[in-house]
Amino acid sequence: MEIVTVREDVWGREVLLGVSWDWLWVILALTFAAIVVHLLIMAVLRKQPRPSAAGKRLTRHDNFDRSFHWIMAISTLVLLFTGVLPIIGYDFNWLTIHWIAGLVLTGAVLLHVIRAVFFQDFGSMVVAPKDLKEPFEKGRKPGKYSLAQKGMHHAMTLLVLVVIGTGLVLFLQIDTPWWDRPNSLAESTLGWMFVLHGVSTLGLVGLTALHVYFALRPEKRFYTRSMISGWISEDEFSANHDPARWMPDETARS
Amino acid sequence: MAAHDVMPDIELFQPITVEDASAIAARLDGAGWILAGGQDTYGWLKDRAKHPGAMIDLAAIEGINGINATASGISIGAMTTLRDVMRDPLIAEKFPILTQAAGRVASPQIRNQGTLGGNVAQDTRCWYYRRGLSCYRAGGNICYADSPEGMNREHALFGASRCVAVSPSDTATALVAVDATMVIHREGREKRVPAEQFFIGPAINITHMTVLRPGDILTHVEIPNTWANTESYFEKVADRDVWDFALVSIAAVMKTSGGVIDDARIVCGAVECVPRRLRSVEQALRGKPRNEQTADAVAGLASGGARTLNHNQFKVPLMENLVRRALRT
Repeated sequence: MEIVTVREDVWGREVLLGVSWDWLWVILALTFAAIVVHLLIMAVLRKQPRPSAAGKRLTRHDNFDRSFHWIMAISTLVLLFTGVLPIIGYDFNWLTIHWIAGLVLTGAVLLHVIRAVFFQDFGSMVVAPKDLKEPFEKGRKPGKYSLAQKGMHHAMTLLVLVVIGTGLVLFLQIDTPWWDRPNSLAESTLGWMFVLHGVSTLGLVGLTALHVYFALRPEKRFYTRSMISGWISEDEFSANHDPARWMPDETARS
Repeated sequence: MAAHDVMPDIELFQPITVEDASAIAARLDGAGWILAGGQDTYGWLKDRAKHPGAMIDLAAIEGINGINATASGISIGAMTTLRDVMRDPLIAEKFPILTQAAGRVASPQIRNQGTLGGNVAQDTRCWYYRRGLSCYRAGGNICYADSPEGMNREHALFGASRCVAVSPSDTATALVAVDATMVIHREGREKRVPAEQFFIGPAINITHMTVLRPGDILTHVEIPNTWANTESYFEKVADRDVWDFALVSIAAVMKTSGGVIDDARIVCGAVECVPRRLRSVEQALRGKPRNEQTADAVAGLASGGARTLNHNQFKVPLMENLVRRALRT
């Protein structure tokens, strides 16, 4: 199976077209296998008692961050579906929806980056050397984000930035309400843009599926709830986080 | 570039039923090329631009050839030759617009061999694409016809989502005008698609001109009586009178009473990847007399929203003039 698709033009030159979409099925199969393996491991492991959701409520995500998260999530899903469905044979007028969702994602990511870097505790998402001990030391608890959450976030960040960067270049090549298609990029440059856009899309398909899986896992569901309603309980906090590394505020409601 | 010496090796299937043809196509999983009259197919093969491994010849299938009157209109087998469509008295009586359109396809030799199904399902004639370049339509990333140096005199004014190729079919415009239905055999079942939805633009699928997918077989074209015996007009403008594709064509049907247009369907060919319904013109016509003044008043609406390329600006006045000619009595 090829990684990229290449075609020979009428002059016998090789033209790079993009990523080979056969990899979509490989990625889906690998993701599915990873989920099955995780399910089996979790079934074998002794179930830990789950902390109670009752009691005092502590703020994990404020309204702003939750809104950004869901805007990014919805736009990413729209981008994935509008990008991938036509490739696997579902015909519809996808391009306009795709670039609009792309602009929404770009705007949300830009605001999120500015807010995270200048107005929030940026360090809480950076992987520090002590985070690396987390998987190996029983009882070691993370700050606001676990090593796995940071890893997922960094992988997502990388893929989303690549998909946005290449998507914006491709966006400049099509008709929009603001400009007419210039058709100005060299074929080889376009080929590379499509390769990078495709590879990052494939990565996002896998990561998004894993992200949704973990969001639905029973022991992680309180994180999903916190992304919807903003809070975790005091019990959930003390069971999963180190107060020396992260001390959330108490919410007004409890 | 490959030498144009001999025909490449192609496995040939000659089924005698639609079911067999469909089963073979399904078994070949996209590698089987459906062959009707061959007037589009052999060009591709001759130029070595497409390389089907197998061909499924529909010529021996009896049920998809011929013209029949039905309770609700006319049913035309997809393998009916354009010559037969052109000469059929029933079609000439009820839908002269189709008689005229079929009669303007290519040349007598091609009409003798070419079929109605093949004519509507044929691929675009954009020469960059036909030459085998890796353009968007061929699965690539660029439209050569729409590049700054592109030769695009025959290309699209409307609906160019990356690709600017146009529908080359003459009968397609007439069939959309008379609100025909395409009957498709798909996975053992019959699927009926209005002609207007049968053709698809690049925004929907950039590598296909129609909704037909590997394994699908267009078996019949049905024309309801809705627009039978109405006033109609067909005109095709091409560089040559024979053996040429349209620069712009028009197919119009009108229901009139006392010289006033009650309803109309007007379709332009070769200005978009699909036959283009001129809905704004149709709407403006309702309740107006069919005369020179009405023609002048609505003609400008035809080209609204057109986006010209470097070499096809002439299509805008051509479209408008064809609308005028269609509406004059």
